[in-house]
Amino acid sequence: MANLNREIQELLADYGVALRDGCLPAFLKSLTREEARAIRESDDFWAATEMVRLMNSAGFGDKVVAPDVGLFISRVDAAIVSRQKRASASTRSPSRNRVNL
Amino acid sequence: MDKRLRNALKGLTSPDAESRRRAMEPFVRATFNIFIRHLYRYLGNEVECEDVLEDVYADIWENPDHLRDIANDAHLLRTVYLYYMRKRLREVYRRMNRNLALSQADLENLVAPEMGLHDLTEQAELKQLLHRMLGKLKARERKAIEMWMQGMSNRAIAIQLKTTVGAVKMLEFRTILKLRRMMKDYSDEED
Repeated sequence: MANLNREIQELLADYGVALRDGCLPAFLKSLTREEARAIRESDDFWAATEMVRLMNSAGFGDKVVAPDVGLFISRVDAAIVSRQKRASASTRSPSRNRVNL
Repeated sequence: MDKRLRNALKGLTSPDAESRRRAMEPFVRATFNIFIRHLYRYLGNEVECEDVLEDVYADIWENPDHLRDIANDAHLLRTVYLYYMRKRLREVYRRMNRNLALSQADLENLVAPEMGLHDLTEQAELKQLLHRMLGKLKARERKAIEMWMQGMSNRAIAIQLKTTVGAVKMLEFRTILKLRRMMKDYSDEED
């Protein structure tokens, strides 16, 4: 069962683990109203999150497995083509649309 | 800045959409590794990083205005983070917000914060700096942080340090704040 009254240091530890393990949404969902208030009011928490991100980057940034960049470029190009199509569809004149109908 | 990247940036800021599309390939090749590592700081998940980055590049193609007059690599990363990545990071979590106890502002500050201390420091330099700072800590503090950075759980760290999980979390919290103060002092000295 989840601990409903985590102290600020526990919240930071859980945030750090969530970030390190790539499951930030689970951490965000786990927060209670009381914990959210504690986070909002704690300057130390915010200062520490900044450091945790740097530690995460220094510790695990190099382990990021870069995908096939060529394949990724195809994905980006497909996204661009899709936006081009959407843009041209939205600029079509209403009269032409009626003819097409 | 690398000549290929400079040329790609020139093409990316062209008013012609097709020229921008052609310039995207060299731009992605030159920046992908830098951008994905930077995003990883905020997401900690490669798959999400790729998805966000795909939208970031498409956004750049659609509206490249912020990328005019880029002076160097650090300027490019800062601009892309502030104007493109943050917007997408916020969108990733916006849908979740209805079910969260955090306010929208706190959520945004947590998942897509302002650029902070050493956010533009390169990976190798950051590691070196952190290593130097860790050397200034007390043995127990350094051990706890090093084990955390090796991927150990708090329970495993507690066993190694012969203490409780609660004590480890408190030790980590205090040490992280101490490290941040040391990093800040270092930046102030550098300036």
